[in-house]
Amino acid sequence: MKHTLVGISINHPKLVVLVSVLITLFFGWQMPKIHIDTDPENMLLENEEVRLFHHGVMEAFGIHDWIVLGVVRDEGLFNPVSLARIAEITRRGSEIDGVIDYDILAPTEVDDIFTTDEGILRVETLMEEPPETQEGADRVLRQILANPILRGKLASDDGTTSAIFFPIENKEIAHRVSLELGRIVDEVGGDETYHLAGIPVAESTFGAEMFKQMAISAPMAFLLIFLLMLFFFRKALVVLGPMIVAMMSVIWSMGLLIGLGFTVHIMSSMIPIFLIPIAVLNSIHVLSEFHDRYHQTRDMRRTVVDTMDELFVPMAFTSITTVVGFASLMFTPIPPVQVFGAFVAFGIFVAWLLSILFVPAYVMLIPKKTFETFGGAEDGGSMMNATMRFIRTTSLRHRVPIVAGGVLVLALSVWGLTRIVVSDNPVNWFKADHPLRIADREMNKHLAGTYIAYLVLSVPEEGGLKDPAVMKYAEALQEHLLEHPNVGATTGVTDVIKKMGEELKGDPAQGVIPDSRDEIAQYLFLYEISGGDPADLFKFITPEADRMNIWVQMKEGENRAVSSVVESARKYMEENPPPAGVTAGWAGLPYINVVWQEKMVKGMSKALIGSFVVVLLMMIGLFRSVRLGLISMIPLTVTIAMVYGAIGFGGKPYDMPIAILSSLTLGLSIDFAIHFLQRTREIYRETGDFPLAMERLFQTPARAITRNILVIAVGFVPMFFANLVPYITVGAFFFAIMVISGFTTLFTFPAILSLMNPAFLAGGKGARQ
Amino acid sequence: MKRSGNALALIVASAALLAGVSLVGAAEKSAEEIMKEAHLNLYYAATDGRAQVDMELTDKRGKTRKRSFIMLRLDVEDGGAQKYFTYFTAPGDVRRTSFMVWKNPDADDSRWIYIPALDLVRRISAKDKGSSFVGSDFTYEDVSGRHWTDDNHKLLRNETVEGRDFYVIESVPKQKDSFAKKITWVSVDRILPEREEYYDKKGELVRVFKAEKIEEIDGIQTVTVRSMENKKKKSSTTVSFSKVEYDVGVGDDLFTERYLKAPPKKYIAE
Repeated sequence: MKHTLVGISINHPKLVVLVSVLITLFFGWQMPKIHIDTDPENMLLENEEVRLFHHGVMEAFGIHDWIVLGVVRDEGLFNPVSLARIAEITRRGSEIDGVIDYDILAPTEVDDIFTTDEGILRVETLMEEPPETQEGADRVLRQILANPILRGKLASDDGTTSAIFFPIENKEIAHRVSLELGRIVDEVGGDETYHLAGIPVAESTFGAEMFKQMAISAPMAFLLIFLLMLFFFRKALVVLGPMIVAMMSVIWSMGLLIGLGFTVHIMSSMIPIFLIPIAVLNSIHVLSEFHDRYHQTRDMRRTVVDTMDELFVPMAFTSITTVVGFASLMFTPIPPVQVFGAFVAFGIFVAWLLSILFVPAYVMLIPKKTFETFGGAEDGGSMMNATMRFIRTTSLRHRVPIVAGGVLVLALSVWGLTRIVVSDNPVNWFKADHPLRIADREMNKHLAGTYIAYLVLSVPEEGGLKDPAVMKYAEALQEHLLEHPNVGATTGVTDVIKKMGEELKGDPAQGVIPDSRDEIAQYLFLYEISGGDPADLFKFITPEADRMNIWVQMKEGENRAVSSVVESARKYMEENPPPAGVTAGWAGLPYINVVWQEKMVKGMSKALIGSFVVVLLMMIGLFRSVRLGLISMIPLTVTIAMVYGAIGFGGKPYDMPIAILSSLTLGLSIDFAIHFLQRTREIYRETGDFPLAMERLFQTPARAITRNILVIAVGFVPMFFANLVPYITVGAFFFAIMVISGFTTLFTFPAILSLMNPAFLAGGKGARQ
Repeated sequence: MKRSGNALALIVASAALLAGVSLVGAAEKSAEEIMKEAHLNLYYAATDGRAQVDMELTDKRGKTRKRSFIMLRLDVEDGGAQKYFTYFTAPGDVRRTSFMVWKNPDADDSRWIYIPALDLVRRISAKDKGSSFVGSDFTYEDVSGRHWTDDNHKLLRNETVEGRDFYVIESVPKQKDSFAKKITWVSVDRILPEREEYYDKKGELVRVFKAEKIEEIDGIQTVTVRSMENKKKKSSTTVSFSKVEYDVGVGDDLFTERYLKAPPKKYIAE
C-alpha cells in the first residue's frame, strides 16, 4: 500500500494536488451553513431524564431563564434618583425583543402585599412610580425587606444593591439582550455600578467571544508554527506544504461536520486548534527527514521515496494512536464530546493521508532551484547538535539517577492525581477580571445569590400540598437549606402562606403555617384572587397544588458548591422522612451543569482507560514485543500523571476543557515514543551496536522530535494570553504535553534501554516487512 | 396622580361629546355613543341581577380548573356606581369565601373579602382596575365595565360577520393603562360588544374577548357565555352564567360587612 500511495503522488503530483484542492473547495463550501450552539445543556442528550424534568418544571411553573442586571451604589441605592433610573431601565428593557415583559422581576413590576395604616390589605405594584422623596425610597426598601419573596432578590439588606431579573424567551438570545441592556444602561445609568449576571448570559457571551477568540487563536498559532518551521527549514515554499495540509485537514473535518448538519458547540469550535498542531506533526517528520537526506543525494525522487519508506510505519502508528485517543471520546455519554472526538479523529486521518499523498506531490512540484540550498548540516546550527549530544550523553551516563528521578516524579504526580477536584461553572470560563466574573462576585456578595436552582416537592394527588403536614415539612426543609453556607435564600409557597397569615392577622408572630387545610387553601385562594398577578403564586405552586417549587438561591455556581447543597437536602430528607407520598427532584441550570459534569468525568475516565489499553495493545503489536510496548507507554504515562497531578496540586478544578484534553495527551504523548523506538530498532538491526544506534538516533530523528516540541509548544504560547480560560487551558496543555512527553522520551529512553540488554531490540519481527 | 386626572378627562370628554352630538345630530351615532350604549346594555341591564357563574380557567399546559360562585349586582346609578357581591361555592376548601366590591367609576373601588377559616372580614385594595378578577384572565374592568369616557373612540368601519352587521371601533386610553389599544366589534342589532381585542404598546395582540352565547332573558339580551383568551400567557377563561334573574329586588343592605359574613339564604341558594 505504501508504495502505491507514494507512487501516485510522485508520478501524478499535479493530479493529487488538484484533487486535494477540489475536495477542500467542496468542504469549504459547506462552511456558510454553520449553526452555533453554546448551550451546555446540550452536553446532555435531548431526552435525558434530568433535562426532561427540568423542562417540565420550567413549564409547569412558568419560569424562564433569567438575565440578571445588578445595580450597586455603595452610598445607598434606595434614593429617588437611582430608583428612577432603575424604573427607566426596566421600562426600556421590557421592550427588548425576546424579553418576556409580563414576567420581569423589578421594583416597578412585582406585586407587594401589605397592610396600610388604615388597616386595608393592599396588593399593589411595589413601586408603581419612582418615589419623589427619600422617605418614599426608604419605604420601598422597607417593603422589600419585609417581604420574604422579594428580600435578597430586589434589595440587599444593606440597601446598596438591587437587581432586575429579565426573563428571556430562550437562552440563545441572552448575549444579544445583554448587549442591548448594556446600551440602555450607558444611556440611562448614573453613579451606580451595573452588573450583568446569570448563567445564560455567561453561556451566550462565551459563545460570542469564543468565535472572536477562534478568529485570533487559530490563525495566530498557525502563523507562529509557520514562522518556527521557517526558522528550522528556511524555505518558505517548502514549509508552506505542511501548513496547507493543516489547513486542509481543518477545512475537511469542519466542512464535513457542518455539512452533516451538526451544530458547532463549544467543544467542536476547538477542532481547528487541535488539528493544526497534530496535522503539522507528521509533516515535520517528513520535512526533517527530507531536509537531512536531500543534500546527500540531490535526487528529489529518491529522497522522497526513501523518506516515505523510513517514515510510513511510524507515521501510520502515531496517527492511528491519536485517532484512537480522540475516537474513544465517542464512547462518552455526552453528545458534543462524541462529535468532537469523531471529527478530530477524522481530521487526523485526513492529515495523515495528506502527509503521505499531498506532501510528496507538493514537494515534487516545487521548482528544483528552491532545493539547491535546502538541507545540510547548517539547520538549527551547532546549538541543536550540541543539545542533542548533551541529552544523549547525560541520559546514558546518569541512567540510574534519571530512571529513579522519573519514578519519583511519577509517584509524586500520582499523589497529585488523588487530589483532583471536579468542578465547572460557565462563569469561570472567563478570566477573573472579566465583567461577568466581577458581576458574579459583586452581586453574590450583597444579594442572596444569582445561581437559582429549583427543588420541587410533589405529591401524587391534586390538592395534596394543602396538607399542613406537607407545608410544615417544606418549611423545615427550607430552613435546613438556609443553614448551608452556599444558600443565600430559599423562597417557596410556604413564604407566601406565612406572609398572608401575617398580613391578614396583622401580627408578624402569626406568620406561620396554619394547622388547618382549609386555612391554607383559603390563604392561597385569597392571594390568587386579591388582584395581584396569579402567575406570581404559580411560580411556587401548581394551580392543582400537587407540586411546589422551592427557589434555592445560591452564591456559588461551581458544581461542588451546588452538589453540596443537593446532597444536604438529600441527607435531610433521608434523616427526616417527608410525609407519605412526597417526592423531591431538582431542576435549574446550576443543577443541570452538575449532572452533565458528573457524567462527563465518569465517561472521560472510562474513555481514557479504554484508549490507554487499546494503545498499549497496539504498541505491543507494532513492536511485536511486550517489553517495547510497555516502554513506549512511559512518556504517555508520565505526561498524563504529571499534567493531571499538577492540576491536583494546583487546586485548579477539573473542568470540561481539562477532561477533554486527556485524549489529546494520550494521542500526542505516544508519538515521540513511537518514532524513537521504531527507529532505534531499525538502526540497531542494521548496526547491532547500541551506542552507535543512539548516536544516529540523536541526529535526524531526535532533531525532528525536538523541532516538533519547539514548534508546537511555542506555537501555542500566545494562547496563554487568551481572554477565555478554556483556551488558556488548551494552550498550556499543548505546551506541557509537548515538553514533558518529548523530553521524557529523549532523556529516559536511552537510560532505560541501556539498562536492559539491548539485544532484545533486534527481537521480534517488527513492523518492517 | 392617575385618578386626579380622571375628573378633568371626564369634563373634557363630556364637552367633546356635547359638541359631537350637536354637530352630527341624530343622523349617525358617534363611536362614543355606540360604546356608551353597548356598555350600558352589557353592564347595567335592569336595576339589579343575580346569576350562578361557573368559571373555567385553562392554563398554557391545557390544564383546567373550575370555580363557581353566585354573583349579585345592584346599580346605584346607570353608567355610574354599582355594587357587586360574589359568594364562592366551589372548590370545596374555599366555599363560603365572599367578596364584595363597591364600584366607583371616578375613584378606586372599595373591596372587602370574607375568609371563612378565620371568620374574618378584611378590606382589601388592589393596584388598579386592570388587575385580574379572582385569578382569571378577566380583569375587574372586564367584569364590571370600563367607563366609556376613559378612552377616545373612533369608528374604523362597518363589518358584516356571518350575516350580521358590526361597528368596528378603536378605543385608545386617554391615560397610560394596562393596554394601549382596544378594537371592539359592537353588533348593530343588539348593541353589545361581541368581540374585543386588546393590544399592548408594541402593537401585539394580548387578549381577546368573545361573547360566545347570547340569550334573551326577561326581554334582555344577556351574554351568558363569555371567554377571554390571553394570547401572551396562552391561558384562557370561560365564564358561563346560569339561573340569570333580573330585578330580583336585591337590597342595598346586602352589600355590607355583616352580610358578607352571613349572606341571606335566599340569595345564595344554588
